[in-house]
Amino acid sequence: MIDAYKRMMNIEEPPAPKTAKGFFTDTSLCIGCKACEVACKQWNQLPADGFAITGNSYDNTGHLGATTWRHVQFIEQAKANGSGQEQRWLMMSDVCKHCANAACLEACPTGALVRTEYGTVYVQQDICNGCGFCVPACPFGVIDRTPKTGHFEAGTAHKCTLCYDRLKDDMTPACAKSCPTASIQFGDVEELRTRARHRLGELHARGESKARLYGMPEGKEAAEVGPLHAFFLLLDEPQKYNLPEVPRLPRKTMTERYGWSAAVGIGFALVGALVLGRRG
Amino acid sequence: MAEGYYDYPVVKRPVWTWEVPAYFWLGGLAGGAYLTAALAQNFGSADDRRAAGGGYYVAAAALVPCAPLLIADLGRPDRFHHMLRIFKPLSPMNLGAWTLTSFTPVAFARAASHAASTGLLRGPLGALARLVPTRLAELAGVVLGLTLAGYSGVLLAATNIPLWAKSKLLGGLFMASALASGSAAVTLQAGRRAVPDATLHRLAMIESAASAGEMAILTGYLVQSKKAARPLTTGRFAMPFWLGAVGAGMLLPLLLHRVAGRRHGRALRSLTSAAAICTIGGSLALRWTIFEAGKESAEDQGASFDLARG
Repeated sequence: MIDAYKRMMNIEEPPAPKTAKGFFTDTSLCIGCKACEVACKQWNQLPADGFAITGNSYDNTGHLGATTWRHVQFIEQAKANGSGQEQRWLMMSDVCKHCANAACLEACPTGALVRTEYGTVYVQQDICNGCGFCVPACPFGVIDRTPKTGHFEAGTAHKCTLCYDRLKDDMTPACAKSCPTASIQFGDVEELRTRARHRLGELHARGESKARLYGMPEGKEAAEVGPLHAFFLLLDEPQKYNLPEVPRLPRKTMTERYGWSAAVGIGFALVGALVLGRRG
Repeated sequence: MAEGYYDYPVVKRPVWTWEVPAYFWLGGLAGGAYLTAALAQNFGSADDRRAAGGGYYVAAAALVPCAPLLIADLGRPDRFHHMLRIFKPLSPMNLGAWTLTSFTPVAFARAASHAASTGLLRGPLGALARLVPTRLAELAGVVLGLTLAGYSGVLLAATNIPLWAKSKLLGGLFMASALASGSAAVTLQAGRRAVPDATLHRLAMIESAASAGEMAILTGYLVQSKKAARPLTTGRFAMPFWLGAVGAGMLLPLLLHRVAGRRHGRALRSLTSAAAICTIGGSLALRWTIFEAGKESAEDQGASFDLARG
């Protein structure tokens, strides 16, 4: 009967799972050229964000958003040494993390946000009704809603698709394809993790003692949101890159919060019944 | 000097507008009024039943703007029904959409059957309304109404906005606020008719219990939120929060009820009505200030890092 219903409603079987795909963004190789930002905008036909000057280094993009799915940060660090000030620039191309336990996906009330056969998180534009719940749910501030009017695909949630359309044709996502220094590496998540561990060992051997990986299964940042399918090699603490130390998954504390809410409701009902039942 | 990347926020500012707190307020009021009316039907005296029966009208009336408000806030209002293409209680937004969709007809059916029982609704419609199984409608309505009153705070808490997510008690706080405003709305409509003083005293006592509970939970909420509560307790929302939600919405009604406890007749009616109006207004002020201050909280980089400290 279920099969007949599916045929009637034209419900397709989801594609069979494939090897998990993802990004390894090695920030030690990033030169801040923003080719990834441009390639992403071009391939995904995302509109420009205007020409605002932030005054914060060479980063005039500012944030990831509904129409900005790659964002290159320019972190200027000055530290004192014997002869005066030593300056260093940390560059990092930020992107949707495609969390194993994605807060946006769990928040979504329509089922527009799905896990694809590549293990990535994807917004189905024809399903999303723009309720906006995924926006504050994301612990990384990635996903956003386009304005309700005057916009292509107006009023729905948007974020990096990991170039789902390109993956379907065995192509590399636009950002990784355009990266001139292999800072953005695309591939099978398992293989990328091996590569990342190797690269970290290399950097530690060279004396980059603060280098670390962010988003690996063994990292404490994976405690709630799980390993990230787009993970990073960082040269400083995650906070320096505006990344939370332990990103939260709202589901983890939800039952407790419902419990308090229910306790108040039941308590009130009991008090009400007692007060009204006491006659005379 | 910011700890993170310049002073940029870690999380995104919610895109929701005024429709959301207005809907939370009315939905909570409807749930609270329905529960109060149902309690009076099942546990109260004949006078209580007559006085509180109007609570079903209040619940139905408060529900009328709820769905339009919820729909208006969507980025694509024409796709509201996509909320109902799946059942996913894991998402409070989905649970809320289902709850509103099912509570609205129940509340209307119970209001119609009450109208039929008092002779207000006659003719074929009245005959139809008399067919409504009242006990079943009361039981289902109480469960659905409480869910509608209680899910909104949990929804806001199921985000990464520090002011909403840090404390465990936002769901409980919104529930208490909903019950206070709902019972207040029942008192208010009862006060406009000739009801015995004893009934008004009992309704006032219920309302006071909810307000006192709300105060206690609010204290716990602020203590748990620590520095994350700053956008609410200081700054531009401090006035409407402290004077509106707390002062006029909780303390003043408690005080008025204390005075009303020794009064009778018209004085009692005036005092309980004034207290009810304060409670209902305060409930809106509470939702609105916490909602709007949450948007400022989203921009608080330090509070976001604190929240995600593990």
